Amino acid sequence: MRDLKRWYRTPGQILLVFTTPLMWLLLFGQAFNIGKLAQGAPGVDIRYVFGGTTDYFSFMAVGQTTFIILFGSLFSGVSLIWDRKTGFLAKLQVAPIPRASIPLSRMTSTVVKALLQAFVVLVLAALFAYVPGLSGLKFSHQFGVLEVLGVALFLLLLGLSLAALFVALGLIVKSEETLFGLINLLNFPLMFTSSALIPIALMPEWLKAVARYNPLTFVVDGMRQLIFHTSIGAQYSIGVDLLGIGIFAALMICIGAVLSRKALLRA
Amino acid sequence: MSSGMSAIRVQDLEKVFPGDVRAVDSVTFDVREGEVFGFLGPNGAGKTTTISILNTLMLPTGGKAEVLGFDVVTQASKVRRGIGLVPQDLTSDEELTGRENIELQAKLYHIPSSEAGKRADELLSLVGLTDSQNRIVKTYSGGMKKRLEFATGLVHKPRILFLDEPTLGLDIQTRTSLWEHIRQLKSETNMTIFLTTHYLEEADNLCDRIAIIDHGKIIALDTSEGLKKAVGGDVIEVEVAECGQDVIEMIRAIPGVSLLDGKCTGNNARIKVPDSNVALPLILEGFWSKKISVLNVAVKKPSLDQAFLEYTGRELRDEGKGNGGKPAATAPKRSRQRRGR
Repeated sequence: MRDLKRWYRTPGQILLVFTTPLMWLLLFGQAFNIGKLAQGAPGVDIRYVFGGTTDYFSFMAVGQTTFIILFGSLFSGVSLIWDRKTGFLAKLQVAPIPRASIPLSRMTSTVVKALLQAFVVLVLAALFAYVPGLSGLKFSHQFGVLEVLGVALFLLLLGLSLAALFVALGLIVKSEETLFGLINLLNFPLMFTSSALIPIALMPEWLKAVARYNPLTFVVDGMRQLIFHTSIGAQYSIGVDLLGIGIFAALMICIGAVLSRKALLRA
Repeated sequence: MSSGMSAIRVQDLEKVFPGDVRAVDSVTFDVREGEVFGFLGPNGAGKTTTISILNTLMLPTGGKAEVLGFDVVTQASKVRRGIGLVPQDLTSDEELTGRENIELQAKLYHIPSSEAGKRADELLSLVGLTDSQNRIVKTYSGGMKKRLEFATGLVHKPRILFLDEPTLGLDIQTRTSLWEHIRQLKSETNMTIFLTTHYLEEADNLCDRIAIIDHGKIIALDTSEGLKKAVGGDVIEVEVAECGQDVIEMIRAIPGVSLLDGKCTGNNARIKVPDSNVALPLILEGFWSKKISVLNVAVKKPSLDQAFLEYTGRELRDEGKGNGGKPAATAPKRSRQRRGR
């Protein structure tokens, strides 16, 4: 398993990878502070809408972090296609390493990178509060180590499940175009049919139905409960959220394993 | 340096691709330990497919192959431990430095980090990349990348090294230095070397034995000398002042040699001999004893080109545009296999 260390990439890439979510946060988040708009309606506790927080930015920032995991995982397979094309994959296949370590190491590096990025975004989002003119991610005062672990767990499970699937796809699909096609097929639907950006309460009925079973929703729901430390406005209880994403992860890992195995089976 | 043990044993190996493409068709051969063995043939002949089967990248559709005594199908992981591969493409990671690539390879082969550092130093110095070891591979020239590739294949001191078209598209310097490295490996270690190439010179210069392969079949297998001899021996061209009947008589008198076409070509007597090393002194002695003055002597040994032409009925073009060769006008297609002792 020490072969997992294989995938250390140049430091330069990491820097690039952090600036993108930062831009997202800045542009997207600040412009859409819908919370201010909805504040007018009397008698309505806005927190029910925003999953426990009072401003859209906070609501959205949590969703934002899942996107980082989402994107990271979806693209995890792409490098494998490059590897196959350059012959690097062949090099790995000729080496006396267990076949499983090829997809596993890729998954691990993807998830680690994505988790790091997600945490940086969370921290940045919180720090925004100190920048005049911007609203920041308001953590609950009760946010402690346990909550941090909980958040990490949710993100980890999401990352693993998507990475498992997409690494396998990267091994099966031989051209980037096909893989990009598949990624984009799932990308936007997953994003927008979850409660990451838009509160479920504000969705039309048909969208609500989809959103309820979207794995992203489970993750975001659970995370918000941890970060804002309240169950007001939550879809499911944390336990259910965890179970939901856990099952999804297990399922994806199984599918990923089967597909990877098939793909690496020698021609 | 051969110890007589088989490093590679292949029997009736077959690889058929969908569409009934017989890339490897009933191939049988043995490679002895310590030998430098070459697969010579045009592109599409089946060389890369065979080497892929031997290094466990591909499964055969028929037949048997054993590398280092292990079956490539059922004992692949054992095979992988003892072989090294220098592939045709440049497979180093361009975002890492030269040294990092070697260290990565060491990790893949379970070499402990303490030893990996030393090994990296050794190999980098061997291929002359010590000064550039900490630069990113993207900045390397093509020749440097290939040298790195070569070093990488040797990291774990494999017992067999597979080289797939090792000097394809390289400049003369890099090619020459790579050949030197291969010769060094041959003389200093007991490493078995299996290489594929479509460069005749390469096969001729480096290999102990060569298998000529085309259309998935081995057409001939012998030492370079053997292959050339089979084509019919050497030709000694003697230029005389005037080629008269006395010259023809004299040549007839020498045992074992014959005058090509039965007559002189202008002032040149082209004499076909089985072995020029033996025949030359006899011929010269013949000329001198009859006081016929010899102006010029040229010994023409058959080239591997001719041998190839003879065996496959077409030319082996250096550019490797395999299937476009012109069929030979005269050479009948001969299919034979001879095992060198």
